[in-house]
Formats: sequence, C-alpha cells, structure tokens
Amino acid sequence: MIEAGGAVLAWFGASLIVLSDGRRGLALGLGCIGLGMCAVVWPAGPGLAAGALALGGLIAAVQRLRNGSPGWAIMPAGSTPQLVLCVGAGLLSLWIGASVTSGGGASLRIAVLAVIGMMGARVLGARQPDVVLSCVAGLVLAVAAASSLAASSPETVVFLGGAVIAATSSFIRLREPSAA
Amino acid sequence: MSPSLVLLAAGVLSLVLAAALAPPAFSRRDLAAQGGVALVAMAVMAVATSLDVVILALLAAGIVRAALAGPRDFATRVRAPVVATALLSLAVVFTRVQGPDLLERFAAVGVVGGLAAAVGVLPFIHPRDSDVAAEPDAVWIGFLGPVLAAAVLLRARELLSPDSGSDLGAMLIGLGLLNMVWGTLAAWLTQRDSAAWHYSFMADWGLALCGFGITVVEGRSAALLVLLGIVLGRFPLQLAARQPAGGGAAVDRPINFLLAALLAGSAPFAGFAARVLLLKGAVQIYWPLAVVLAIGFLLYLPPSLRLGRTLSRPRGRRAFALAVVLVINVAAGLYPLPILSLAGS
Repeated sequence: MIEAGGAVLAWFGASLIVLSDGRRGLALGLGCIGLGMCAVVWPAGPGLAAGALALGGLIAAVQRLRNGSPGWAIMPAGSTPQLVLCVGAGLLSLWIGASVTSGGGASLRIAVLAVIGMMGARVLGARQPDVVLSCVAGLVLAVAAASSLAASSPETVVFLGGAVIAATSSFIRLREPSAA
Repeated sequence: MSPSLVLLAAGVLSLVLAAALAPPAFSRRDLAAQGGVALVAMAVMAVATSLDVVILALLAAGIVRAALAGPRDFATRVRAPVVATALLSLAVVFTRVQGPDLLERFAAVGVVGGLAAAVGVLPFIHPRDSDVAAEPDAVWIGFLGPVLAAAVLLRARELLSPDSGSDLGAMLIGLGLLNMVWGTLAAWLTQRDSAAWHYSFMADWGLALCGFGITVVEGRSAALLVLLGIVLGRFPLQLAARQPAGGGAAVDRPINFLLAALLAGSAPFAGFAARVLLLKGAVQIYWPLAVVLAIGFLLYLPPSLRLGRTLSRPRGRRAFALAVVLVINVAAGLYPLPILSLAGS
C-alpha cells in the first residue's frame, strides 16, 4: 500500500513540475518525487538508499523554494499540452508497469517510468533555468531509483550520487549568456 | 584495460595537444574548465561498474558544462544531455523488467537514441555556435562522446539478449551509414568552415557506429581506432583551425595535404587501419555492406581536402604539437595492435 502511494506521489510531483512555472509548485513537486521514490525503493533497496533519495529531494525542494520565479504559477494559460502529458504519461506508465511487465516491484516501475518520461518531455519545452534544473533533479532521483530494478543488489553509490546531484543542482547560480 | 580507459588516456593527451594547438586568441582558461569537467566525467564513465553510474556521470557533466558561461541559454545547452539521460535510463529500465521481448527491442532503441542525443549525431544534431570561438559541441562529439560510447555500448551488449543485440547492431549500422553520408556531403558542401568541421565529426562517428554495429571483433577494433582518431586527431586539429577573421589564409602547403590525408583516413594514418578492419568485419557478416562502406569511404576525400586547407602554417609550439598529432596517428595506423591489445580487442 505504501509502495502504491509512493508511485502516486512521485507521479503527482512530476505533474506539478510539468504544470508549474513558479518556485512553490516546483519545490512541492521535487519534495513529492523525493518522498515518492523513497517509498517505492524502500522494500527493494537498502534503507540508506531510500533515505538518500528522500533527503536529496527535500534539499532540492527547499533550495528551489529560495530562488526562482515567485508564486505557484500552476497551469498558466496554454498548459493544456502539459496537462495531457501528465495524464498520458501516468496512464502509459501504469499500463507498462502493471500490465505489460510482470514480477514484483510494479510501483517502482510505474514511478520510475512516469517520472523519467515526464521530466524528459518537460525539458524539451522549458526555457526557464529553475524549471529545467527542477526537471534535472527529478530525473536524477528517478534514474537512481531505477537501479533498484537490477537483478543484483543495487549499488549504494548510485543512490548517493543521484541524491547529491539532485541536491546540488538546485544550488547552481547561472551566469548570463555571453552572446545573444 | 577497457576501451574506455584507453580513450580516457587519449583524452588527457588530446587536451594537452588542444591547448598547444589552439590559436593564441583562444581562452586556455575556458578550455581547461570545459576539458577538466569532461575529463572528470570521462574518468567516472571509464571506471564505472554499472550503466547507472555512466548515466549519472553524463547528466552531471551536462549540467556543469551547461552552467559554465556559454553563448546559448542554459535550457538549450542542457537539453541534449538530459534527453540522452532520459532515453538511456528508459533503456536500462526496459532491460531490467520481466516482459515481452519487444521491451528489449525498445531498450535497444533507447540506447541508440540516447547515445546519438548525447554525442550530437543524426537524428539529434546539436545546435551549433558557429560564430563564437568556444564551440561546446566539439567537446561532446569529439572529446567526451567517444568514452561515453565505449562505456554505454559495451555494457549495453551485456544487458541485451542476443536477438536484441542484433537489433542494436543493425540500428547502429543504419545510423552509422546515415551519419557517414550526411556528414561527408555536408562537410563538403556547407559554406562555413566551422560547420564543415562539425559535420566531419559526424562523418567519423558514422564509421564508429558502423564498427560497433558489426558484431565481430574487427568491427569493435575499427570503432576503437576511429574514436581514437577523433580524440587524438580531429579534435585538436579543429581547435587549431580556429583562426580569427583574416588570420589564416587558406593555401596549399604540403602540411595541408598531409593533414587532409590524416582526416580522410589515408594510409599510413590510423583512419586507414580502421577502414581496413571495418571492411574485413563487414565482409564477415554481410559482404554487400562492405561494398557500401567502400563507396562511402570515397566521400571522405573532398571534405578532408577542404578541412586540411583551413589550417594555417604552424609555428613554434603549435608546429611541435601538430607534429605530435601526425606522429601519433601514423604510429596508430602502422601498428595498431598494442592499442587494440591494451583495449582488450
């Protein structure tokens, strides 16, 4: 039950990042992804790994809350394609993770597929650095969580590395382009 | 020693040569920063024990390089590595889940697509900054890309079943031929020299992809030699060719023809050995492919003659570095066996 909730939370977090342009929405999305990935990884991976993902996501969320465009800015005008993406990615991930594939860890598969697909798609259309960096943080958490799917025991370094990249990417201060 | 480690060592040497060959106006500080970030990522990829670590290193390098000051906005600079990460990650997920064989085929598509997006070859050509001295694309396609390709493709073969591995090989050969033809023709016909250099990288990547796609040892050896040629030949040379407007007249000196021969893969340079191995491998798996490749090799001559003329007469430190590039490529072409043995081929 917790795993299923984690998958839904991760999808919801990714949807917030896809639908929001403001720092509050992005921060909440990152926090949800971190906690959701922690919940789906916990049964399959070591506790340290799950904790690292949650911590990485929360640090990224707090840091995102401190900079970026103010407010929530959820579903600004012209967000219909993003909304369709959220629903479509969720359904597709659910179908592949629960029906096409078999074996344990369906929640993990669904969460990982949804977040990777949605973050990759969001980056293609995003222009604001804070949105792109939020996508990167969400993506890297999902990539790290995906290592739990390996038949052999997952490497702790992948979880720690993913958490560190997710957390530090939110600290990046960008310089202006040197040319138009 | 793995091919990635050999390419990493070549990368270190290439960075030194690039610093020596770059025109005086070129910022060594930028080169050191960009190259340093790439080298760290390459080292992680080369020693990585799993594909997950390689993917994380790719994404980290993409973020840091994009965050360094550049001529384009951050979102554009980081887009290709993020898309590559997403595609490669999906591929890894599909290899790890239980399900129909079709998923493994999608995984093969993800591997090829992710690699093409990261490197910047067809069908994911990176936007170019032809007007500025620091062209970041060259780092991906000419410096970091070879180690990434070796790390990803050699590990991907271990993850995929033999059937999906064959699909992966077929896609690599198809994409390789496409890049070969597109790259050579575009490098020949485009108006700008900087664009011609970029397309010539694509053409070389076409050979490398074909080599990785040919599932015999000759193919892998050929791919390694082509990638070595990119890192130790084309990458430092394209930096040497960056002259300020009016700073280097395009004239035909013997050195220009020598460099054209190197770029075209003529004997006795490394590219020639790679082409021979590629033909040998192609004959073993499907001989008409060797015919297509042989015809394709002829396309390298016109753009190489053009690119060879973009280098002005070197003096002092630059002449010495150019001589080192030539000697390395001749040595690798005449006697590639030590390199291939070192790389386990």
